[in-house]
Amino acid sequence: MSRLAPIAITGLGCLSGAGVNLAESMQTLFSNQRNPQPSRRFTTGHPHCYPVLELPAEFTLPLDNQEKVYARSCQLALVAAREALTDAGWDERSLRGKRVGVCIGTTIGCALNCDDFYRAYKEDDNPDIGIIKRYLYSNPAAVIAQQFRLDGPTQTIANACSSGTDAIGIGSSWLRAGACDIVIAGGADELARVTYSGFSSLMITDPEPCKPFDLKRKGLNLGEGAGMLVLEHEEVRQEKKVRGYVLGYGTACDAYHLTAPRPDGAGLKQALAEAFATAGVSAKQISFTNAHGTGTPDNDRVESRVLNEILPGVPFVSTKGYTGHTLGAAGGIEAVFTLACLQRKEIPANIGFSEADPELPATPVQENTRIEGDIALSESLAFGGNNAALILARGDA
Amino acid sequence: MRMAIQGIGICGGFGQGVAALRAALQTGRVEPQEVCIEHKGMTDRLPVYQAAVDGLTEFIPKRALRRIDHFSKMTLLGACLALKDADLLEADRSRTGVVIATGYGTLKTTFDFLDSYLDFGYSCSSPTHFSNSVHNAAAAHVSMQFKATAPSLTLTQFEMSVSSALLTAQIWLAENRVDQVLFGAVDESCEVLHFWRKKFFAEGEQGPIRPFALETQSAVVGEGVSFLLLTRAEQDAAYAFIDRVKLGNHDVCSLRLPQDVRLIVGADGHKETGPWYAQVLKDRTATAYAPLYGSFPAAAGFDLAVAALMLRERKLYLLEDQGVPETTDLQATEEKLACLKFGPAGDYGLIQLSN
Amino acid sequence: MSVKEKLKRVLIEDLNLEDVEPDEITDDMALFGDGLGLDSLDAVELVVIVQKHFGVEIKDMEEGRPALQTISTLAKFIEERLA
Repeated sequence: MSRLAPIAITGLGCLSGAGVNLAESMQTLFSNQRNPQPSRRFTTGHPHCYPVLELPAEFTLPLDNQEKVYARSCQLALVAAREALTDAGWDERSLRGKRVGVCIGTTIGCALNCDDFYRAYKEDDNPDIGIIKRYLYSNPAAVIAQQFRLDGPTQTIANACSSGTDAIGIGSSWLRAGACDIVIAGGADELARVTYSGFSSLMITDPEPCKPFDLKRKGLNLGEGAGMLVLEHEEVRQEKKVRGYVLGYGTACDAYHLTAPRPDGAGLKQALAEAFATAGVSAKQISFTNAHGTGTPDNDRVESRVLNEILPGVPFVSTKGYTGHTLGAAGGIEAVFTLACLQRKEIPANIGFSEADPELPATPVQENTRIEGDIALSESLAFGGNNAALILARGDA
Repeated sequence: MRMAIQGIGICGGFGQGVAALRAALQTGRVEPQEVCIEHKGMTDRLPVYQAAVDGLTEFIPKRALRRIDHFSKMTLLGACLALKDADLLEADRSRTGVVIATGYGTLKTTFDFLDSYLDFGYSCSSPTHFSNSVHNAAAAHVSMQFKATAPSLTLTQFEMSVSSALLTAQIWLAENRVDQVLFGAVDESCEVLHFWRKKFFAEGEQGPIRPFALETQSAVVGEGVSFLLLTRAEQDAAYAFIDRVKLGNHDVCSLRLPQDVRLIVGADGHKETGPWYAQVLKDRTATAYAPLYGSFPAAAGFDLAVAALMLRERKLYLLEDQGVPETTDLQATEEKLACLKFGPAGDYGLIQLSN
Repeated sequence: MSVKEKLKRVLIEDLNLEDVEPDEITDDMALFGDGLGLDSLDAVELVVIVQKHFGVEIKDMEEGRPALQTISTLAKFIEERLA
């Protein structure tokens, strides 16, 4: 693999349990606050209650009536996309005539996990067919393209928890290949009873606020949200200031197990090597890593070992303590955080970590930490053995 | 960037493998199977093109399949057949990427998972069903089975899934991330799908599919898998080349069809997409092959396999709605075909191929 | 049917071990790794199986790990909870 052209990022947008826009999220992160609690959106009758991170109850998504008919993942995607487009100085009118691609990662946002419909169907009751209709017109990438009336490629990536990171990597490649002028890329995912039940059945949810990389970590807290980037071709961007650059992207598959990461981290290392090579950057140039850090025993062990081996001494943080694990959205939200932290020259404390695990050779930052340099890494590990990494650089805006 | 098609692995209502596809093209029609769905004490009979996966145990031992659902089995079978077709079953696959396009993902296992907690309570939610219901489980099984440690990606874009996925295959090859791509399009049918389609389309689900009756609902549900083994075009192509992939929205910016290509359209009896085909086709002639495998998002991958096969054999098969199939020889030294698929909102994918 | 016998049957059925006969699973055979060859995903599925067929809860893997060694250890765990 050889070095690829850097791709300009001109706009950022995100929302999650840590905040309803980027400014508010940064405030939460750097004041080291979090608020996991039992879901207000659904009940399960599950014998144990696991805390989750949802958007504030009093917050209404800023959407018009037409947009409210979409599934929640799409609604979250739209709100973050609008924030990012506004940040980049675009609106529907100025985008007209441009080739604009949309590349979005999700998990629940593309799955027919309509348990309300299915329960009624099973009980021979009259199931609400409107739920199926909503599913059929709620493809996140298609919804963004339709709402902003865009002409260009659309792609909804369903690569489990690395989807958001993959979407940004692939969206960048579209610009290099000349497939479009602008790309809206990121991830979006809602919280659902289905994922809640699924993750608790895998016994990887923490009954308390999650503790990434800590000795007593028991698993993840689920979250919801979206994180979006606006990527622009240099010919379109011209003199506009940039929020940062996508320098490189790498991805590799463990080809090992459906749910467990490969213990030696070979897939993650390969993804990192590819990300470094495409960025033309060496490990020494990395100022910090936004780790996947879900808080599950297996993930954090593998990740800590690989980070210690490939990026010894480089500070790292998992921001999932603040947002929860937002699955397909995580890569999008964390890329946005990474860029905002580069700009701020500071990373937040890895909330939830207090006691080192002797099995983990590297530990995350325990307090807000100043960082030097202009380049950072954001990485994701996923079900199915996917590993994905982005090398991002600071811009001038 | 041009890509070369080196192998095809296909399985659908017509059977499995390239020979079965060719036979279906020659005969010009494939009869769907019939399924019964029961709801509220009523029984409905519906035609459906189902894919049988018995051929899979030729490649993979039964024990290794114990946790693998029908969707992933179709995917694995398609991948095995494509590798066999390209004579790469024994090759090193550390530089083989996997790209899977699906409209709906694994429907049956999604509902199996819901069954586990709706029937037995939340503490009995099945982790096996949950992890297999995730869209990329099939791709993961392919990567694990073939030790393909290169990138693996699953995407879902309803009718646009196949053309969108080809874009990804293209950039991976162009950026030299991989040397081959195992590119698969897969969808499955299930009882719940039949139920909701019956609600939407009522008698429009009875078939037969009449692709060019653009104002009539005549779809018949299908399922299956179509894999292509793709490489960069610097090598010769065993079948054909994919020259260009374009996605856009005709409603936002009019699609101008290239003049020098023969058109294969993904018209499959869905009335809602009819007007888009009518608008762009006008006086152009086109062929469609949905009557051989049914109406489902991943069928765009079947159109692609048909195009590749016809370019290799230099034969254009024409299906007539009810009559005798015709064959035209493709004479020109440089034959060009294009596969066009519309979604209901005017979104389109256009894939251009040549020999 | 004893707890052990029932366990072997439901294990074969719910984990789709079609090629295994109940008699082939000995009481002290390791369920994971070289023995029966189960893995971490089977382990969590076993937790569900125990809940579903015996009404016995395994709270987390700390509690589960010592129980999920062999048919004997699992049967003992279940019998203790049922007593």
